[in-house]
Amino acid sequence: MSALAFFLIVVSLLSFVAAQLILKRAMEFSAANGLRNSRFVSLAAIGVALMTISFFLTLGLLQRFDLSYLYPFQGLSVIFITLLAAVALKENLSARLMLGALLITAGIILVSIS
Amino acid sequence: MTNDHTRHRPTGFGNPWLQLGLSVLCVFVSEFLLKRGATDVAEPDSAFSWTGINGLKSPLVWWAILLIIASFISWLYVLRYVPITVAYPLSRVVDILVPLGCWIFLGELISTTRWCGIALVVVGLGLVAKPVAQIEERL
Repeated sequence: MSALAFFLIVVSLLSFVAAQLILKRAMEFSAANGLRNSRFVSLAAIGVALMTISFFLTLGLLQRFDLSYLYPFQGLSVIFITLLAAVALKENLSARLMLGALLITAGIILVSIS
Repeated sequence: MTNDHTRHRPTGFGNPWLQLGLSVLCVFVSEFLLKRGATDVAEPDSAFSWTGINGLKSPLVWWAILLIIASFISWLYVLRYVPITVAYPLSRVVDILVPLGCWIFLGELISTTRWCGIALVVVGLGLVAKPVAQIEERL
């Protein structure tokens, strides 16, 4: 794997994680303030833009690598999103949830490399 | 859970857990369409194809995009009611549905290591699903 491919995999993963957290924020905001306000629209637009970047980078990577090779990196998103949601969105994170997320990530990686 | 919206959970088609299931189903189908579509139009020699935009030449990719948009709308709805620390790990059930789908529908073999991975994900999902039961009790 070239350095460029690794860089693109990381960018794709990070933009996906950031998009999920921003969209969660947007939807929480909309639950309290409705859909017709500039803050919701801008948060949702940033989230969708990041998702789009991640989507096309993945499509480019899929043309070069097997899905099973790229999948473990997607598996890492479980850990990143769970941890960052606890930090950035102040969601409750019990030891049980953390362990569950770790097992899911480990399982996805095993499935992908086997 | 700190999320107040879970208390006003709608029922029927608006049930966030049903929507989570629909979202997962759409992603499940779109993964197969995307890989197939991307392979059909692959141009590994072209630098432009790193952007993935040439994938749009495949009709399968467009079907996948439609399904992804549908799953995305369901997902946003789920996010409105369910904490992402619970919803996102649960949504990754698709990562074992895809290999299981290959096994059931395509007759592909699943190695011992892969079965172990699937088992780990199932145990992890069980751990994450327990707080879901707690959220439901509070409704």
